[in-house]
Amino acid sequence: MALDAEIQVRRGDVTIAAAFSAGDRETLALLGPNGAGKTTIVETIAGLVPAATGRIFLDSEPIHDLPPEKRPVGIAFQDGVLFPHLSVLENVAFPVRARGARSRASRAHALELLERLAPGIAPNAKPRTLSGGERQRVALARALAGAPRVLILDEPLSAVDVSGRADLRALLRRTLGDFHGPRLLVTHDPVEAMTLADRIVVLENGRITQTGTPEEIRDGPRTRYAADLVGMNLFAGRLMPIEAGAGALQTGDGVVTVPWPDEVAVGPLDDVLATLAPTDVVLHVSRPEGSARNVVRGVVEEVAILGDRARVRLDSSPPLVAEITTGSATRMAIRPGTMVWASFKAVEIDLMVEPEPTDTL
Amino acid sequence: MALASLGAAFVLLPVVALFVRAPWSRLGGALSGVGASTALRLSLEVSLAATAISVAVGVPLAWTLARGEFPGRNLLRAAVILPIVLPPVVGGVGLLVALGRSGMVGRWLHDALGIQLTFTTAGAVVATTFVSMPLVVLATEAGLRGLDRRYEQAAAAMGGSPWYVFRRVTLPMVAPQLAAGAVLTWARALGEFGATITFAGNLAGRTQTMPLAVFEARQIDPGGAIVLSLILVVVSVSVLVALGGRLTGLR
Repeated sequence: MALDAEIQVRRGDVTIAAAFSAGDRETLALLGPNGAGKTTIVETIAGLVPAATGRIFLDSEPIHDLPPEKRPVGIAFQDGVLFPHLSVLENVAFPVRARGARSRASRAHALELLERLAPGIAPNAKPRTLSGGERQRVALARALAGAPRVLILDEPLSAVDVSGRADLRALLRRTLGDFHGPRLLVTHDPVEAMTLADRIVVLENGRITQTGTPEEIRDGPRTRYAADLVGMNLFAGRLMPIEAGAGALQTGDGVVTVPWPDEVAVGPLDDVLATLAPTDVVLHVSRPEGSARNVVRGVVEEVAILGDRARVRLDSSPPLVAEITTGSATRMAIRPGTMVWASFKAVEIDLMVEPEPTDTL
Repeated sequence: MALASLGAAFVLLPVVALFVRAPWSRLGGALSGVGASTALRLSLEVSLAATAISVAVGVPLAWTLARGEFPGRNLLRAAVILPIVLPPVVGGVGLLVALGRSGMVGRWLHDALGIQLTFTTAGAVVATTFVSMPLVVLATEAGLRGLDRRYEQAAAAMGGSPWYVFRRVTLPMVAPQLAAGAVLTWARALGEFGATITFAGNLAGRTQTMPLAVFEARQIDPGGAIVLSLILVVVSVSVLVALGGRLTGLR
């Protein structure tokens, strides 16, 4: 099953125009800044934007003329948009009942989904008593309840505080992976897009500026925005404590010294993700003397010029992307083949600790 | 503070005076003498019927005003509000020339269908509805306008047909405003005097509701008028507390 969309929406003086496809069991992230039109695009697919024109096909079957209630689309809205007057259970049962199922059958189905996606939430609780992360879990269950053929998640992590984010990200990854059909993920967070999506569509000001796998976009961002957002250094591996407040992140190709994550017990941790902005990587022609904890040496692989900035890819351990001004690139005579030193401070690294995979999904 | 006390005293004084001056010693006699039970029963019937009709017709009207996109919508809203600002007597005269036996529509109602509204309980309900319906329309419309459309969009995206969405999401979410409007409508209907006496007349047992009975008793038996008034006070306050305590802040 595949989704093909070609959509135009006039919104004020911005025209959103986008054409994209999502394959069967493919997670496509729509990544872009606020106001880029991401939500408008997915709500158009759900049939909620009357002003939209264009064509939407699901397995070459047109759905763009169907009213929203007839479209086989399950959507978890940003902030949940749970019905405040209904309980958690009634919210999740809503899509089933709306399609004519009996109350008892729909409740059983909803309970089963809640047990899987939102264990520990009382089924008869009202949405206003839930935390942001709990609301999002219920919204996810509700999106799946109607047995949709397309799954849409709109900013599923934005209303969730940092402590609940890793748990929810792991759940999202499993849920997306288990869903048979195209999946769309709206996000402004590059890490979310890179860790959850198979392919990324970068959207700026209503237009698609780039489409590609996370690796393709990380290695060759085509706009300044994509470079800033997606061109992050990403490290993944096992985190070992080395001293008070610091740890060593052992990746497949190199070790990085990082600050020990807050509120996490000291001890070895698996599946830790860390990001580092290329602008926080400093390049030197000789071994630096400063206080930075991480110092590596490597050969320049590639230099890409984006306006007055140069993105430099280093074949170091671990491999790094640095972003410096074109002026300093010229001064240091940086070109492919040059041997340089790179340094970055531990405190510039953003850590994301994934929880232990405890449940049996 | 002093002005607030003055205001509170001003509001409470008439009610207190009613209790002080009530002919407590001959309460039973006063009650039977002025036909209190008949008028009270009629008042409750008429006001509840008017409230029911107002909700049944007023909610679709509020929906049209809040959600409809058509020329003259503001004009329609002004027309709906008119009975609130219009002197009820004027409303009664208007109803008379429209729905009276020789009125524009009333003549046809009478000749073709045999329906006469003047001097009937149905006429009292019509007059009362005319005067009190705008309150539930305005309250419900305000509720619909304040409702975040994303809930209805979400419900549609979850497979809800427009009618299902209205029943399961829109209506329950504006229920507090609708209930507040209905309580106000009912209170207004219970006190309705001008339009009713002008259009439906003052016939004991058919159109003589409590306010009309008070008015009539006032001329022959002032003590009876006080007793009837007290009954209205007690009924109004107890229904407000029982039904609308949550809405009015009386708990």
